[in-house]
Amino acid sequence: MDKILLLAHTQTDGSLPKAAYESLNAALTLAADLGGAAVTVGLIGADVQAAADSIATCGAASILAVSGEDFAASRYSSDTVAVETLVKETAPTLVLAPTSSRFSRCLPGAAYRCDGRIETHITGIEVVDGAVQVQRWYYRQRMVASLSRVQRPWFLVIDSGVFEPWQGAAGSVDVQTLEVAIGDDCQRTKVLGVQTPDSDAQTIRPDAKLLFVAGAGWTKKQTDGQLHIKQAEELILGFINNSKASLGSSKSLVDQSSEGGEVISFMSHLNQVGQTGSTPRHLKGLATCCHGEEPHTVGWRFISERRAISLDPNCGWAQGKADVLYVADAFEVIAKINELLAGS
Amino acid sequence: MSGGFHIVVCGSLVPDPLQTLEPMEGPTGPALKNEMMLPAVLDPWAGHALFEAAQLAKNVPDSKVWLVSLGPKAKLQQLMMSIAQKVSFELVAIDGSAGGFTDPFDVAATLADTIDKIEGLDRTRLLLFGGCASASRDSGVTMQMVAERLDIVDQFLAVDKLTVSSDGALEVLERIEAGQYQVSSCAGAPAMLGWATGSLPEPPNNPQVGMMNMRTVMPALQKAQAAEVGIGGLKYAAVELPKQRRETRVVKDTPAEEIAQEIVDWLKA
Amino acid sequence: MNIDRQMMEVDIACVGFGPATAGFLHTLSQAMTAEDGSVLLESKVMPGMPLQVVCYERADDIGFGVSGVVTRGKALRASLPDLDPAQIPMAAPVRDEQVLYLKDPLGKSRRSSGVRMLDRLFGLLGVKDHAVKLPYIPPFLCKKDGLVLSIGQFSQWIGNQLMGSGLVQVWPGMPVSEPLLEEDRVVGVRLTDQGVESDGTPGPGYMPGMDIRAALTVVGDGPVGPVGQKLDAHFGLPAGNHQDEWAGGMKVVVELPEDCTLQPGFVLHTLGYPEPEIFGFLYVYPDRVASLGIFVPSWLDSPVRSSYRLLQHWMQHPAIWKHLKGGTLRSWGAKSLQESGQRGEPVLAGDGFARIGEGSGSTNLLTGSGLDEAWATGVQLAEGVIELAKAGEPFSRTNLERAYLGRRRDSWVEKDARIAKCARDGFTRGMVPGLLGMALSGMSGGRFNVGGAFRRPWQRIPAFKDYFSGQLSAQEIDTIVEDCRQHGKPPFEPLMDKLGWPPIEYDGQLLISHQDALLLGGKVQAAHGFADHVRFVDPSACDDCESQICVAMCSGQAISASEGGGVPQFDREKCIHCGICMWNCTSGRDGDPLRSNVSFDAGSGGLHSAEN
Repeated sequence: MDKILLLAHTQTDGSLPKAAYESLNAALTLAADLGGAAVTVGLIGADVQAAADSIATCGAASILAVSGEDFAASRYSSDTVAVETLVKETAPTLVLAPTSSRFSRCLPGAAYRCDGRIETHITGIEVVDGAVQVQRWYYRQRMVASLSRVQRPWFLVIDSGVFEPWQGAAGSVDVQTLEVAIGDDCQRTKVLGVQTPDSDAQTIRPDAKLLFVAGAGWTKKQTDGQLHIKQAEELILGFINNSKASLGSSKSLVDQSSEGGEVISFMSHLNQVGQTGSTPRHLKGLATCCHGEEPHTVGWRFISERRAISLDPNCGWAQGKADVLYVADAFEVIAKINELLAGS
Repeated sequence: MSGGFHIVVCGSLVPDPLQTLEPMEGPTGPALKNEMMLPAVLDPWAGHALFEAAQLAKNVPDSKVWLVSLGPKAKLQQLMMSIAQKVSFELVAIDGSAGGFTDPFDVAATLADTIDKIEGLDRTRLLLFGGCASASRDSGVTMQMVAERLDIVDQFLAVDKLTVSSDGALEVLERIEAGQYQVSSCAGAPAMLGWATGSLPEPPNNPQVGMMNMRTVMPALQKAQAAEVGIGGLKYAAVELPKQRRETRVVKDTPAEEIAQEIVDWLKA
Repeated sequence: MNIDRQMMEVDIACVGFGPATAGFLHTLSQAMTAEDGSVLLESKVMPGMPLQVVCYERADDIGFGVSGVVTRGKALRASLPDLDPAQIPMAAPVRDEQVLYLKDPLGKSRRSSGVRMLDRLFGLLGVKDHAVKLPYIPPFLCKKDGLVLSIGQFSQWIGNQLMGSGLVQVWPGMPVSEPLLEEDRVVGVRLTDQGVESDGTPGPGYMPGMDIRAALTVVGDGPVGPVGQKLDAHFGLPAGNHQDEWAGGMKVVVELPEDCTLQPGFVLHTLGYPEPEIFGFLYVYPDRVASLGIFVPSWLDSPVRSSYRLLQHWMQHPAIWKHLKGGTLRSWGAKSLQESGQRGEPVLAGDGFARIGEGSGSTNLLTGSGLDEAWATGVQLAEGVIELAKAGEPFSRTNLERAYLGRRRDSWVEKDARIAKCARDGFTRGMVPGLLGMALSGMSGGRFNVGGAFRRPWQRIPAFKDYFSGQLSAQEIDTIVEDCRQHGKPPFEPLMDKLGWPPIEYDGQLLISHQDALLLGGKVQAAHGFADHVRFVDPSACDDCESQICVAMCSGQAISASEGGGVPQFDREKCIHCGICMWNCTSGRDGDPLRSNVSFDAGSGGLHSAEN
């Protein structure tokens, strides 16, 4: 009989991220599909009680934790020890966890220590003929595979936005805390803090409904033969603030900074969407001044509704990659949109 | 710090992202159609790792860079002809599959075993570099498992910046959620850094660098050990291309006002 | 400006890695060391070591963006006696050859009275699918016992062996901008500047192109190569020679439909459609893959020629389409072919340099063969170099003329080239004189020919009004041209539509837009930091240009018309380096009428596909 361990870590305020509730839902659904496998929850963080209480009624067999100041920060050396302890204590066959920078860093090593195997970026889990089968993408979202494994424990790291978050009443729950000592050899790394982007505005918003992508056309010479970087910045920021969209970019736009070209000051490779950037999940996407070439548009795999504004009627977006292509000057259109959004 | 870093970069080839990729069932599991014919490039994030490694080696005296590459020998040779012109490194080649469907657990074992046998490598000075994920498997797990096998417990993922202080301590910027960076310090080597894009542009092709690298590249290719890296414990039920094409409505010769209104209506819907 | 330029010394520097350079390096590398590893040909720049030989190639990898061929493989087999086509992807022995005369099923092509007579004559042989299968293939065209090959795959195959030998170095992604000339002596090459703006001015990360000094520079950079061009500008062509005839080859690699019955090694050549002057080819590789395409010659005296559109009409000819329908496009590409053959021969050797391959006029236009001849010239040069190196003699003009040219002149390449020299001259007068001339030359061993009416390529492009005389009124033409000018579009598509050529109905699989072909099959790469390699020398000439034929013929849609007319835009990131723009221009260059107003220089990247 399968045993499922759901791992989650707290955020700085002690709460669980949305993706953790999604993975919890995935774990509970999978347990049911497996004919009632037991689900144990393992929490990691400085203080996990509030997090545990928030899922008190989820029906988990038990909630275990590795907590304390050593586990407040996201650090490989201590996180792997925490995960290893939780896994060894519960001896699960399946370990489910949400994708986060913290888990992406530590789970592969932890899986190795537990003599387990790991698959990441899971976008689907099903039970076929009694066996667990998962979906994940290969070659940067070019093709999707369904696969299974014989080895256990099998760590499955689930992409956010794939499952609905678990919704249930909070309550009060007993958390079984496992004592873990962190030796000096695990203290060589110290987390100093978090740097937020240099700009005044936060431009990457994973929870936004809309992804707005700026392509290199914003920083190229416009019809009057001149660069209009300042104006481009105002228009883009204006749109982002008015629409509450998340800001993405094509590679060529942000590459210009490393090549010494004039750039949009508040954008960096962190904004990059595509083959060598991110593959965010948003309901809608609007591309501007971007050719819609394959390496970029693979990053749009999980954008449901896609529209683009480009001066080139033959650009990649027209080739079945967008639902609507507006052949127009994005400078003009975005200015008008900003007026409309500001007025409403 | 006594002595410079021994930087080992793990990186291999992936199909040029511009190519049309199609899966097929090979003799030992899923593969890409015409895999050996597809033009290949250095895995982009591993490429950034390599460029950062070369820059670091340049700045910290007595440092050295190895590039450990697992891939089909003939394809590796081709790849080397382009990247060997860019930065200086010593190649350690392993002849095996560079495909995305291989089991990362086995890939990590092969890489770790190879690194362990590098002659003259001082593990106390080791910085293990790689991409934060590959553009083939896109899994982001291999480097951590390689590092575990080499007993490295200080690991960083999605690194964009590394600063080394005079005592050899590292300050690392890792990408985390919502466009933020986590800043960490580490006492020094050994450590593993899985790079994101870093901050360096792709170096230009330099014929002198190429000529220098060639002295080690060809011998390394000649003595490349064959490694059986396959799908391991994975069982693929299906690998499919998604349906990509949408019916695109192209709106032309329409005033900006109208387009703006249509987009606003769509945003609000 | 005083530029701090790095310098490196080698013994032999090669420019361009194609079949000729491959033949050269293959032959040379086998003579450099003995089986026990001892040095047989010693380096002068690194005493004790074997010759230091480097080759610089513009494309991102060797064998990218070239073409499919059928070849007798005479020289290849001489060099590679154990050659097994099964070892080379996309290679197969020739099994079956056919020549089809294609009639015009749409009635839209321009058929002179002579061509109409041909239609009737050939029609007597029996028409099927609007085509006539010629009952007899003249021996000079026959490729019996030959091979169909992808030059891309062949180049990679042989290149890997060469690099694996460790004796020569082939560096892709490294364009050579010019020969280093000291008076009439070539002392090496200069690599292209990197880290420059599109106009060539130094930008961030500026790295001046390195000087590679070499005792011998081997120029194998093809018909549009920058080094060859600059040598021609310096030395001029030998008296009586010219390079006025060109063709744009455009082809696709197609996965044939499952029910296709064509077997690997099948070779089909066509003539007659979509314009009588356009030749087509279809070669079948193993695994149901075919390479097929057309040649649009400079003597197709049309101001509305567009290889891409013409290719799609050709593919849809019933005699071709029956094989292709249901197939999928896998790859696409184009290149310029120097069609002057031996008449286009430049100065082949001088102090410190030698020229080989297509750029040296080695292509045989009677037999339609280039790869084997190119390889052979490379081998001949290598044999000469080995002889000189062993004797410790310098690579002087006299020595190279003896050791290399002597071999070339005594070989079958030269003998066949002489037969072919005037074989195609008749085409400069029209299709029928052309075919007649080829037959005469072929049958008489070159003794009889039909004389040519040679003109510069830019002199061959008629004005719209002349070309469409009797078909479209001056007013109709003016309206279209003006409308296109205002909207920044070239007029060739609307004019072809107006003539009644049906629009191409895209099926998204094989018939796809030009842009899609670029995305699906082109995969164009352009490394950052290089200058634009296509320039319009005199902008005022573009202002006066009516046809904008450079836009129409640009294989990669890298050249686009500007709104309101004038100098077209060039987008380096779309350029596949076919060089077709160079000879598709309506203006001669001021003071240099041999060349057109489009200059085509050294650039990095191009097509990123080896499936060609």
